[in-house]
Amino acid sequence: MKFKINRDHFTNGLAQVLNVVGSKATMPILSNVLIEAEKDHITLTTTNLDLGIRCKIKAEVKEGGAVTLPVKRLATIVRELPNVDVTFDASPNHQVKLASGGSNFRIMGIGKEEFPPLPEFGDEKSFTLEQAELTAMLKSVAYAQSTDETRYILNGVYFNFRDGKLSLVATDGRRLALVSKELEVPATSAGAIILPAKTVNELARMLDKGEKLKISFNDRRAAFQINTDKDASGLTDSIYLYSKVVEGNYPNYQQVIPKETHQRIKLERELFLQCIHRAALVCSEKSNSVKLKLTSNLLEITAQSPDFGEAHESMAIGYSGPDLQVAFNPSFMMDPLKALNKDEVFFELKDEVSPGVFKTLDSFICVIMPVRLS
Amino acid sequence: MAKVRILPDRVANQIAAGEVIERPAAVVKELVENAVDAGATRIEVEFRHGGRSLIRVEDNGGGMSRDDAMLALERHATSKIIEADDLNRLTSFGFRGEALPSIASISRFTLQTRETGAEAGTEIVVNGGRLVHVHECGRPVGTRIEVAQLFNSVPARRKFLKTDPTEAAHIVSGVRLYALAFPRVAFTLIEDGRIIFRSPECPGLVDRVGEIFGRQLAEGLVSLEAEEPGLRLRGFIGRPGAGRATRHEMITFVNQRPVDSRTLNYALIESYHESLPKGRYPAAFVFLDLDPAAVDVNVHPAKREVRFRSEPAVRSFVIRAVLQRLRELAPAAGPATAAPVAPLPAEPVLSVPWASAPALSQGGAIVRPVFLPPPPAPRPAVVASSAPSPAVARASVPTETGRDSIAAWRYVGRVHGVYVLFETPAGLVVIDRRAAHERVWFERLQAEFAAGSVASQRLLLPVPVELDPVATALLLDRLEFLNAHGFEISEFGRNFFRIEAVPAWMEPAGAEPFLRDLLGAVREGRFPDGAIGLAREELARLAVAKAIRLPEAAGEAELRALLSQLFACRSPLSSPSGRPTQIELSVGELARRFQK
Repeated sequence: MKFKINRDHFTNGLAQVLNVVGSKATMPILSNVLIEAEKDHITLTTTNLDLGIRCKIKAEVKEGGAVTLPVKRLATIVRELPNVDVTFDASPNHQVKLASGGSNFRIMGIGKEEFPPLPEFGDEKSFTLEQAELTAMLKSVAYAQSTDETRYILNGVYFNFRDGKLSLVATDGRRLALVSKELEVPATSAGAIILPAKTVNELARMLDKGEKLKISFNDRRAAFQINTDKDASGLTDSIYLYSKVVEGNYPNYQQVIPKETHQRIKLERELFLQCIHRAALVCSEKSNSVKLKLTSNLLEITAQSPDFGEAHESMAIGYSGPDLQVAFNPSFMMDPLKALNKDEVFFELKDEVSPGVFKTLDSFICVIMPVRLS
Repeated sequence: MAKVRILPDRVANQIAAGEVIERPAAVVKELVENAVDAGATRIEVEFRHGGRSLIRVEDNGGGMSRDDAMLALERHATSKIIEADDLNRLTSFGFRGEALPSIASISRFTLQTRETGAEAGTEIVVNGGRLVHVHECGRPVGTRIEVAQLFNSVPARRKFLKTDPTEAAHIVSGVRLYALAFPRVAFTLIEDGRIIFRSPECPGLVDRVGEIFGRQLAEGLVSLEAEEPGLRLRGFIGRPGAGRATRHEMITFVNQRPVDSRTLNYALIESYHESLPKGRYPAAFVFLDLDPAAVDVNVHPAKREVRFRSEPAVRSFVIRAVLQRLRELAPAAGPATAAPVAPLPAEPVLSVPWASAPALSQGGAIVRPVFLPPPPAPRPAVVASSAPSPAVARASVPTETGRDSIAAWRYVGRVHGVYVLFETPAGLVVIDRRAAHERVWFERLQAEFAAGSVASQRLLLPVPVELDPVATALLLDRLEFLNAHGFEISEFGRNFFRIEAVPAWMEPAGAEPFLRDLLGAVREGRFPDGAIGLAREELARLAVAKAIRLPEAAGEAELRALLSQLFACRSPLSSPSGRPTQIELSVGELARRFQK
């Protein structure tokens, strides 16, 4: 096989598929990228068996064919090549000649036969979404995923297509973020998956390439077809992302969300975030909590650590309910505030043992459990 | 007057009772065994005040005629063997013929029995070894024995009894063993009028395990079945990776007799060598069946110990069988076994203090220079308290030159991810990151406990925990203590609890294993009642083992911070479990080893 390609396009393509490859692959073939040339483009594919990515790049193909090469090393070499024009020539014994300007590389590859095929999809359910919208939704819940591997069910974002809406949920057992949007869900297509954290990261990284994306899924796998119509650096067609899903039952998140509103305050998001952030500066590993105190039209935010000192912030707010006090882990409060982009958020509280709930006018909810000093 | 006399029967019985009946649980054991030997399919055990004031065992077994019943109260009277040779063919529990007279000699003893086909039952009452009366009574077929005022005639023994809850716990765990051994017999256990457990006839062992130890445990078990000529092993064992902090759930039976056999226990632990980290024990309910002639149960009057004719054969058979089963499970067991615990370096290597950072070669074998001189001192026994052991103190010369000087130590690097090397003016110091972290956390938690400011993170989804009755009782006793130290655990039905909040440093998923380990420690008596200081220390010690996750990539700044935190501790030289946190190689020692 033989083709000529623009160096920057090639680099961009490799960058799309690079992250999937782990540093400690158990099978050598998994640290390789499958390069297939046909017609006017090449296709790049990588997989770690849980997650696979495929993209297509424009190229002048002289002779079709396929070969696999170590992707990390290849990406570094291609990026450093001196000339924009790169020729790529693979011999039948999987040796690849890479030439650009005055530099020539000969790289040993492995045959395509050993490369594990990406899963075939059959009778899956599928939906089309806006990339920008999904990006925002993912961002507003992704921080709440659990990183504790012993509870693997929670190591991902739950996508629930049901009752005329798509809900995204993430929780680590101490807080829960939920965002939903209206979507036409035919009864036969209703369903839910848990998308693993790694896939969520990759997906979020790719969602700025075009207008639409298509998500297809069944009980075991999910696939994303991401349009690349806005991309100007060589990508053609779509990027495909194939992922296993986390198998298991996601906890019933509805029961965690408080049904009634007790005290609701309206907050300027930026200002509140800054206050919490400043107060949290005195927190230590030992005492990682920030106390909120609500009195008539005043919100006081205090934090202290015995071996350092204390911080006190006050904010004027509109509040006429009873005085109340409650403490939270500051990062649980800051994470949703950082992820949102609305100017105003609502914060609902009840007492020192009940959860705090962030809401926006969109259908966003973040429930955080309080910390208590016993 | 002759100095040597033959003791009257009553005294002899009381002496025998001293051997057989050491505590109320032993009475229960003897009576339950008799009931099983009598072929009962329903056994009811009731006791009050830890067995002190009343023990009642009632069965629907064969019963006895009036003459048999009278004879049963004589010493060395038994229906179970006829001649000494029968000991080699034992299939019943009892054979010594000592239990009933012994018990009768130290309590107020009431026996009611009716044989199948007999018109009326017999009631015999004996008080402190003296026959009170014998007359007819009405009762269904079977036997009922009531033992009241135990140890009334041996006040010395009475004094040595532990508290009622402790004695009750012994009785409960004893009855549970027999309930496990005979799933087809219905058991009821009643304490102070309250039903501790009631288990109907179960179709199989695993159902019985579920009834008694909770369904959660039973679901985590896998069956085991192996047979070789003359030996058969069956039962259930825990999955690889699911270990327990204590041996309480490692239960072995030989020919259906619950036993405490070192041979079997060690064989089980050894089989799990690669499947569980060191210091964790598997859950196992295994039955070993072999020719009665190949096992001697007549070692101890309580028959808790057994001896095998051929210990090595039994041992290797058990190891083979269990290993085989564990290997079969390995690929299917999922993430729990995906990262097997790295085999720990063998003990002898550790006994050379300055070689205790063995270089692990690719294969996991330990590369050790062969020319090392013999170890200068045996490895210090693990010290339970936080005081540094002598050997650790020896390794701590640098600290005596002052904490201020640690800033002058030069960071050399990280070795194998877990050790940190510093160059000091006096030589080289190797820090064990885990031990150091444990010490820092331990003192931090202790300070938190002492200050009474334990941050407790409430959980969105409470963690349900099902416990066995003994653990439930232990937990109920300590609920207040735990709830004052960052937990919020509430009772949620019989033997069922919900963890609603955990200390802020704990992962929600870690809560349940932690609670189980904690109860294991409580059972071993590591949380003395009333001594809150000790209990806090123990809680902190357990907690550090769980709380610490070493970050993969730690840079110089973090490791230096760790060093200064460590030296800010009260006793920086050892981890809370007594292992050294650091080893020093002095310049002189290095020179000596290079034979300069």
